[in-house]
Amino acid sequence: MTNAQIFRTQEGGKIDREEKISFIFNGKKYYGYKGDTLASALLANGIHLIGRSFKYHRPRGIIAAGVEDANGKVQLSRNNISEPNVNITEVELVEGLSFKSQNCWPSVTFDIWAINNFLNRFFPAGFYYKTFMWPKSFWYNVYEPIIRKAAGMGTASLKPDPDRYEHRYEHCDILVVGSGPSGISSALAAAKNGARVILAEDKPRFGGSLQIDEVTIGNKNGNEWVDEAIAELKSMPNVIIRNRSQVFGYYDHNMLVMFERCKDHVNNSEAFTPRERLWYIRAQEVVLSTGSIERPLVFANNDRPGIMLSSSAREYLKIYGVFVGKKPIIFTNNDSAYETAIEYKNNGIDVLIIDTRNNSDSGIVNETKKLGIKIKFAHAIANTSGYKKVKSVTIGKLNKEKNAYTKLEEVKCDSVFVSGNWTPTVHLASQSGNKLNYDTNTDSFLPSISRQDETVIGSANGSMTLKESLKEGFEVGYKLSKKITKGNIQTTIPLSDEKQLGDHDKFWCMPLPTNKNYKRFVDFQNDVAVSDIQLAVQEGFRSIEHVKRYTTLGMATDQGKTSNLNGLQLVSDIEKKIVPEVGHTTFRPPYTSVTIGTIIGREVGKNYKATRKSPMHTWHEKNKAVFVDAGLWLRPRYYKQNNEDLFEASKREALNVRNNVGICDVTSLGKIEIKGKDSAEFLNRIYTNAFLKLPIGKARYGVMLREDGIVFDDGTTTRISENHYHMTTTTAQAANVLSHLEYYIQVVWPELDVVVVSVTEQWAAAAIAGPKSRLLLSKIFPSEEVSNESFPFMGYKEFKFKETTARVFRISFSGELAYEINVESDFGLQMWEEILNLGEEFKIQPYGTEALSTLRIEMGHIAGSEIDGRTIARDLSLESLLSEKKDFVGKRSLNRKAFTDNNREKIVGLVPIDKKTNIPEGSHLVLDKNASLPNPKLGHVSASCWSVEYNNPFSLAIVKNGHNKLGEKLYAVSPLKNVSVAVEVVSQHYVDPEGKRVRS
Amino acid sequence: MLEIKCPYCGRRSQNEFSYGGDATVKRPKLNKDISDGEWDEFIYYRKNPRGIHLELWHHTSGCRQWFKVKRDTSTHEIVKTFMIEEESQ
Amino acid sequence: MKKYSVFSLIKNAFNKHQDWDVAWRDPEPKKEYDAIIIGGGGHGLATAYYLAKEYEIKNIAILEKGWIGGGNIGRNTTILRSNYMHDANNLFYDHGMQMWKDLSQELNYNVMYSPRGILNLAHSDAQLNAYSRRGNSMRLNGIEASLLGREEVRKIIPFADFTDNARFPIFGGLMQSIGGTARHDAVAWGYARAADDLGVDIIQHCEVTGFDIVNGSVQGVQTSRGFIKTNKIGLCVAGSTSILAEKLNMSLPIESHVLQACVSEPVKPLLDGVVTFGAGHFYCSQSDKGEMVMGGDLDGYNSYAQRGNLPTIQHVLTEGVALFPNLSRLKMLRSWGGIMDMSMDGSPIIDKTHIEGVYLNCGWCYGGFKATPVSGLTFAHTIATGEPHKLNAPFKLDRFHTGHLIDEKGLGTKTWIS
Repeated sequence: MTNAQIFRTQEGGKIDREEKISFIFNGKKYYGYKGDTLASALLANGIHLIGRSFKYHRPRGIIAAGVEDANGKVQLSRNNISEPNVNITEVELVEGLSFKSQNCWPSVTFDIWAINNFLNRFFPAGFYYKTFMWPKSFWYNVYEPIIRKAAGMGTASLKPDPDRYEHRYEHCDILVVGSGPSGISSALAAAKNGARVILAEDKPRFGGSLQIDEVTIGNKNGNEWVDEAIAELKSMPNVIIRNRSQVFGYYDHNMLVMFERCKDHVNNSEAFTPRERLWYIRAQEVVLSTGSIERPLVFANNDRPGIMLSSSAREYLKIYGVFVGKKPIIFTNNDSAYETAIEYKNNGIDVLIIDTRNNSDSGIVNETKKLGIKIKFAHAIANTSGYKKVKSVTIGKLNKEKNAYTKLEEVKCDSVFVSGNWTPTVHLASQSGNKLNYDTNTDSFLPSISRQDETVIGSANGSMTLKESLKEGFEVGYKLSKKITKGNIQTTIPLSDEKQLGDHDKFWCMPLPTNKNYKRFVDFQNDVAVSDIQLAVQEGFRSIEHVKRYTTLGMATDQGKTSNLNGLQLVSDIEKKIVPEVGHTTFRPPYTSVTIGTIIGREVGKNYKATRKSPMHTWHEKNKAVFVDAGLWLRPRYYKQNNEDLFEASKREALNVRNNVGICDVTSLGKIEIKGKDSAEFLNRIYTNAFLKLPIGKARYGVMLREDGIVFDDGTTTRISENHYHMTTTTAQAANVLSHLEYYIQVVWPELDVVVVSVTEQWAAAAIAGPKSRLLLSKIFPSEEVSNESFPFMGYKEFKFKETTARVFRISFSGELAYEINVESDFGLQMWEEILNLGEEFKIQPYGTEALSTLRIEMGHIAGSEIDGRTIARDLSLESLLSEKKDFVGKRSLNRKAFTDNNREKIVGLVPIDKKTNIPEGSHLVLDKNASLPNPKLGHVSASCWSVEYNNPFSLAIVKNGHNKLGEKLYAVSPLKNVSVAVEVVSQHYVDPEGKRVRS
Repeated sequence: MLEIKCPYCGRRSQNEFSYGGDATVKRPKLNKDISDGEWDEFIYYRKNPRGIHLELWHHTSGCRQWFKVKRDTSTHEIVKTFMIEEESQ
Repeated sequence: MKKYSVFSLIKNAFNKHQDWDVAWRDPEPKKEYDAIIIGGGGHGLATAYYLAKEYEIKNIAILEKGWIGGGNIGRNTTILRSNYMHDANNLFYDHGMQMWKDLSQELNYNVMYSPRGILNLAHSDAQLNAYSRRGNSMRLNGIEASLLGREEVRKIIPFADFTDNARFPIFGGLMQSIGGTARHDAVAWGYARAADDLGVDIIQHCEVTGFDIVNGSVQGVQTSRGFIKTNKIGLCVAGSTSILAEKLNMSLPIESHVLQACVSEPVKPLLDGVVTFGAGHFYCSQSDKGEMVMGGDLDGYNSYAQRGNLPTIQHVLTEGVALFPNLSRLKMLRSWGGIMDMSMDGSPIIDKTHIEGVYLNCGWCYGGFKATPVSGLTFAHTIATGEPHKLNAPFKLDRFHTGHLIDEKGLGTKTWIS
């Protein structure tokens, strides 16, 4: 194909005509220029039909040139990544783009689903609530799948997003959102007065309306003034200025969030360029110069391709050098559309203006008349025709009441430029908490009192002239900056000249021609027509929120930027209320859709959450450890030898602990240092058991409760010196325990002299366990005395290890004779390797969490699966640790009725009667496995293992009245796994119930 | 995102802090003889006003101090922050 | 009430839809009612409907300070399930699941009940075992549930992260195949229309400003539209419960917190049922319109503002992309917040109070939507008979004194942690 671009002007616009770029739309190749958007490039080639609408599959085209566009959504492929619902008015043309229409099959020009349009009488608002009810299962088996397939717009890629997104945090004195006349002037005034300013513009080019309006500021035209002002701002060190950057959310405490497009508009971007960057901006003051959006008019068949907002048509002409049409009709209720008429006329295109007003005598109308442009006052478009693009319109003279036409005539055209006046963009102000007021001057909602520190200026504030915008901008910029910087540099407001516009007609919804039932669309993308809104109100959905939800008005991807106010106006007309009584729907973030990857940033894949590794991690990796996630920690679950599976390996490792000696990395256990002269008293209050008299050099097992009496955590605490303790917590609760201790120290008992600090990462810890562990210990610390007498169970010693000091605790989780050796993290790996070397003669083997589990289960030690946030100490047979002599955290809760009930659950052991069948964890215990449902549950299996001591399965269970059920036969059933095991209830302490080994 | 002024560190974004709920809850003194009702009140019943709420926050990713915040629950506006021992008026 | 059906739709189509009646009337409040339900949300509307239908109290009003269906019934992620561990929750919610099956027909309003399954993903053997405990509890209560392995999960959500790049790999999941979704607005409107048809007065823009209590029993309510006499009041005001309770001089074990949800732009069918991520707190389904509907944690501080902050959404979406890496390329279209009535054990309260004639329905935490029918039914029973239905008997207010708590998550009273 040649570089046709038959709708491109001969010259002008801001595109780079030197750089031609090809693209593919619906399989055909076209050309545009650098600086085009996909929309302007399509229009340059005379393409208006972009896609099909959501419900009726009507042909639709571009209606705007920015984020407000409702129809221009395509499926875009870029570097083999396919993306749905891409706004063609926002995407800049670069090489390698291919895109296609959405919501149509087999093609946008011939779409089977367009049958919906002919059946549209059967699909009024909310039709689906009234039907599809019989037969019962047909909704989800038949109708819904069809609806789901028909809905949905574009297609999501199934592949991971290969792009990269970044976050940036920034503080500033003043954030200015929008670079139109008011935004630029406020940024200039504030920056010159010393404030740190961020100026954000969502479009690629700065200047907003100054780029397309015929104005002068000082002695320059609008574009020249913008270029100079932007250059000046860019040169200032206290200014950050960003285009392609959309501020989409105004959150609490003046936190605003913006996304910046960094990559997609660049050909061959550098490696590691993020596709988009999210900015969290905390601003002292916010200036919202967000401008306004032109409002469409509502008339019969107003949705045909080729019908566009008039200012957008001007934007395509002035910025992109594109004629949206060569035989346009302008349809307006106000003066601003005349600017478009003049612009087209000056470019050699004849236009016809249809104006609903009876007359207008403003400067611009007179100028238009002088140019010989034909104007039909008191007329409206009564209907349009042309299937894939508008071909003609039926214009009618409005009667006096404007509810009918006195005369109709058909006029040929190739485009219609519509203006229903302007809607200030107040979304961000509303998000900030600004209660909007209805303004009858502009017939729109305007910001009133700010809840946060924001100021709305320019047309977003209803100030529709350039003069007002500049004045507000410079004044607000100066005033706010003065407040912050105390500076007093005031910039003079330049003189300006602009076209004089008159009043608009308070009339948006055109009558239908007599006896015609055409659709008049309010929300284009969601196909919400006047008749739908009428029906909603007729059926009693009178609140604007009800109308919105019932009709889906304003709920499409354009979020109703062009439809909300027309919808409100209609409801108020039908209800004979004024608009402010109808109210408005809530504006919520985001202002425009935001890429999910941008919101997330870098926390993807393996970086979704931090990974915590012990200093010995590399050794584990080298030695075939298979890891398991324990919170954020990665812990060795078992060390694979040959072809072992988890079961075989963990059995081998556990048995070796029972027979010889094993070593286990226990670094991940929480470690907290406690110091201060009241430490003993503090611990005595926190733990259920006594801690006041714990001797120096001794460890004690302790249990903590929550105040509601539920067991919170367990661990050992060791008295290192008079006022110095070392506490261990479970891996899972380490952070919570620390916060818990700090709460009591700082909030509840501030009079106690205690401080705590987490030292989990400062110490590497290894447990050596097994009958040969003392022999091994004596090898590790050959000069130290380690006999049972001098270093008894629950003893603590500090031994010299290399050039550091090791903290050695004689504590045991495995139930064997065991020691836990802690060294500073930097020595962890060295210690680990040394122990393994020295242990070789004792057949030492490392063991993972699975063997650790086996060992603790058959010993009857509790862990996280028993301390599940629902059990009390008595349930876990910890009642001997509940001191009766002292008060402690949670004690007062223990005498509640449910907690003293004799029938409460109690921890027990279970052994399968056949001594063979494994008892699945998560099974429940029942008396009769064949009982009818619901089958009463007596308890559940909390942890299961293969007892290496007895070579048969063993489980811990928490069972109603368990302590009185020893010796009874129950069934452990797991219907999910279709397993039921006859079990005998035994003691929870299956191995060494007297605890001799740990003391041996 | 809230901006909270830690009385020790200054203004920081909310993601450095953890919430601690109603700050007017006072733990009964140890060994104090109180009724079941009073105890349950302490455990389960908190102020839940729409409007000004005195609450605890913990500067978990900072100085690790607990402190009090007077905040409006209907607007999220923070009126003032206090050290634990300060009178929160 | 003129019945809705495909025939009525066709008939009206040829008459320009001019004959459709109002879905519910807009009556002036009467001077007196036999029962008043405060709160025109899902639970309030359902309660009034069942009171009128099952308990023969006909002279009922629903007082709503705004517009009906504007609170959490219109702000939730529409998930239906009964995959709980505790018997009390299990049996209660499952009764609700049975009611959902017939609700469209019962109300003559298509609530789009869609049992496409809910899958809780597990990311370790330990988590799978914890899920087994819950699933087995369901099964022993006669509720369908199944345990899926990694490969079975892959068949359902092949685009989830099954690569080595996943920080927390998928081990399997617990599936409740009758779990699913329903259209939230339709539930509110369906109950409203059906209740109205039974004579219930739905009075919108009527705020309750006070209560008349004489000798410990209620005599009526003061409202923005005048005093209304009644001897029975049911409170169904979710996040606003504490505000009304204060007017009754009651304090409750409830905190109000904001919970956000968000949707992506609509895309063609991607995800059929509901999926939850186990290595965080994220739930996701796809609406019939094609939007991915996503939610997660509370913002984490007491709030009555129906707005949250972006870090919570960021957190939710981060979990979403950890599960489904392709979500990264979609766009978030809309986010919103609702005020949750968080109870101190995570389970609801449906009970009478110490004031004669005042009944309480609150504490739904994140989970009120799916309970709408069964909550309405059992609350209606409690109001009509003065005694709880056997299904809501465990959800007593005094469990916070007796210790008979129903704590599914084992997190205790820190309601803001999930």
